[in-house]
Amino acid sequence: MVAVASKRKVIRGIPISSGIALGHVQVVLPGLLDVAEKSIRASEVDKEIAALEKAVEDTAQELRKLHQSAGRKIDSSISKVFGAQLLIATDRDFLNQVRAEIASQQRNAGFVYNLMVRKATHQLQLANNPYLQQSAQEIQAVAERVLSHLYGVGEKSTSRFDPDTILVAQSFTPGNILDYRQRRAAGFLACEGGAHSHTALIARSLLVPMVVAPRALNKLVSGSQIILDGANGRAIINPTEAEWADYTHKRERLGPAMISRIKRLTEIPPRTADDVPVQVAANLEFPGPADEILAARKIPVGLYRTEFLYLERNDPPDEFAQFRFYDRIAERFAESHVVFRTFDLGSDKVRSGGPNIVEPNPALGWRGIRLMLDMPDVFRTQVRAILRASTRRNVSILLPMISDLSEFLKAKKLIGQAALELRRQGESFDERIQVGVMVEVPSAALMAESLAEQADFVHIGTNDLTQYTMSADRSNDRVAGLYSPFHPSVIKLVDMTVRACRKLNKPVCVCGETAGDPLGIILYVGLGVTGVSMNPGKVFDSCRLIKKIDYDVLRHLVIPLLSSQSAVAATRRLQSYRNAIENK
Amino acid sequence: MITRTTYVVNRLGLHARPSAQLVSATSKFQSEVFITRQDLRINAKSIMGVMMLAAEKGSELLIEADGPDEQAAVEAVVQLIESGFGEEI
Repeated sequence: MVAVASKRKVIRGIPISSGIALGHVQVVLPGLLDVAEKSIRASEVDKEIAALEKAVEDTAQELRKLHQSAGRKIDSSISKVFGAQLLIATDRDFLNQVRAEIASQQRNAGFVYNLMVRKATHQLQLANNPYLQQSAQEIQAVAERVLSHLYGVGEKSTSRFDPDTILVAQSFTPGNILDYRQRRAAGFLACEGGAHSHTALIARSLLVPMVVAPRALNKLVSGSQIILDGANGRAIINPTEAEWADYTHKRERLGPAMISRIKRLTEIPPRTADDVPVQVAANLEFPGPADEILAARKIPVGLYRTEFLYLERNDPPDEFAQFRFYDRIAERFAESHVVFRTFDLGSDKVRSGGPNIVEPNPALGWRGIRLMLDMPDVFRTQVRAILRASTRRNVSILLPMISDLSEFLKAKKLIGQAALELRRQGESFDERIQVGVMVEVPSAALMAESLAEQADFVHIGTNDLTQYTMSADRSNDRVAGLYSPFHPSVIKLVDMTVRACRKLNKPVCVCGETAGDPLGIILYVGLGVTGVSMNPGKVFDSCRLIKKIDYDVLRHLVIPLLSSQSAVAATRRLQSYRNAIENK
Repeated sequence: MITRTTYVVNRLGLHARPSAQLVSATSKFQSEVFITRQDLRINAKSIMGVMMLAAEKGSELLIEADGPDEQAAVEAVVQLIESGFGEEI
């Protein structure tokens, strides 16, 4: 191990994927290796070429394995990445050119190969087109593998990392995450990358903690001790013993994200100790290894985010491509149910056909349903695709960021138009498909009754509801302390919404991180929700907790919570109920 | 030997996925197949070659095939390009 600088440092960045990892840093540099030029004798040419061919063959084998296993685990879009890389690695024409150069220039194979790869990718990198630049990245990724094999340098690409290794790099590609995770990396810290990138989706679908913090590489060395807190976007380098103990405890309380425990669940939906059923569902955003296990236990998807279709593009794929995705997902969950939320994006992401939009206040701006209603063709296309995927009668539509009844009514009208078109075209779909609203804006909670009258179901988005209500950005360190879903004002809004729904006999489900938090479960079950939808890693523990709850007792206990004086007071009450039932 | 001129119509151009499709198609034919864009002439059975064309939407491409199944080869390539590789146009 490299000698470490022992100063404690806190690195603050963007939360990409939640989870806690404790261990040591290993810096990886998934960039193109620099290879020194060496001249070789004529007699050595054949040997150099043979070494290159072997490195290529080893790379091809590696890629074939990754191609297969990615195809099984995640979506085929990732396995296509490895498929394209395989074609690149085994490109006979290119290799023949490299061989010819090695012979004519009498230079070492690694240098010649590297040089020719750079020449090839140069044109691509100059193109003002991110998709062509991506092709350059794929070629470089392959070249890196070939050179690693040629020189036996860097990690052997199939060996496992030491336990509790947290990888740090300038950036990671989706392929890197998959690859490193298979080699048992415990967490990722990158200097670049967005929360909505393909890489981020893969990390979340694999339930591995990840943070992005610019210049993180300057603040640590390989071998340093590190605590990685994915949900809060922090890393602590060389933490104190007290911090280590604290985070170890936190990690235990989060519970291992072992999705496989879900297989042990016998009762779906779980029922409280006094036999009240509470629907437990999962929030998903991208195909992943959790899907199979959830589907096998018939756990529904309470929220399927569809923004992944916008990955690395400015407009969504066409109707047929969208339909294929939705249909495949609906098929996976054929024996339960999927709620697709329509695109919930801001102006930074969506191409409006006009000049680039810069909003002074994007959180309060043109996003969610507002944006979609201003782009009815895009909205209708998505709705058509979802409708076409509803033939198994296990799909619902959820509208995000509703702040006014008129938005819901306009959206329903567009949905009606889409349905009419499909009917005329003879396409079948679920005529009785349910349409629900996300209550995540205070105005919606305050007029929950009007919304619940019109909508088929309601989902409460506690993350945004809390932020809007407390007017505090949870990612802003200066005010993050104000953000608490257990603040009495937030509780009151949730209560109001739940009551309105129950009065009108409409299902009401809480989605949002708090729905997977034990105190959140206790609160929402006590308030009378019909369901909770959460990160798949929390499903097992939540079902177990629900079985310990006595609903009749809890619902009386929850009433005084509404008049708590503070988030702290409310949290304490919830915690003491939790202690009472956990210690039975 | 046959030649045909065609244009890239899909919005994202000849990125990784269509390049892979093109190579999968050309490798089925016995004939040699080349594609030229501006000054660059590449072997259309080489994915690196196809990618290096850096052909964005609207690029003019000259397709050449030479061999026993040259007619079918050219047609297959032109078809693929002109259908936009199944992507958005």
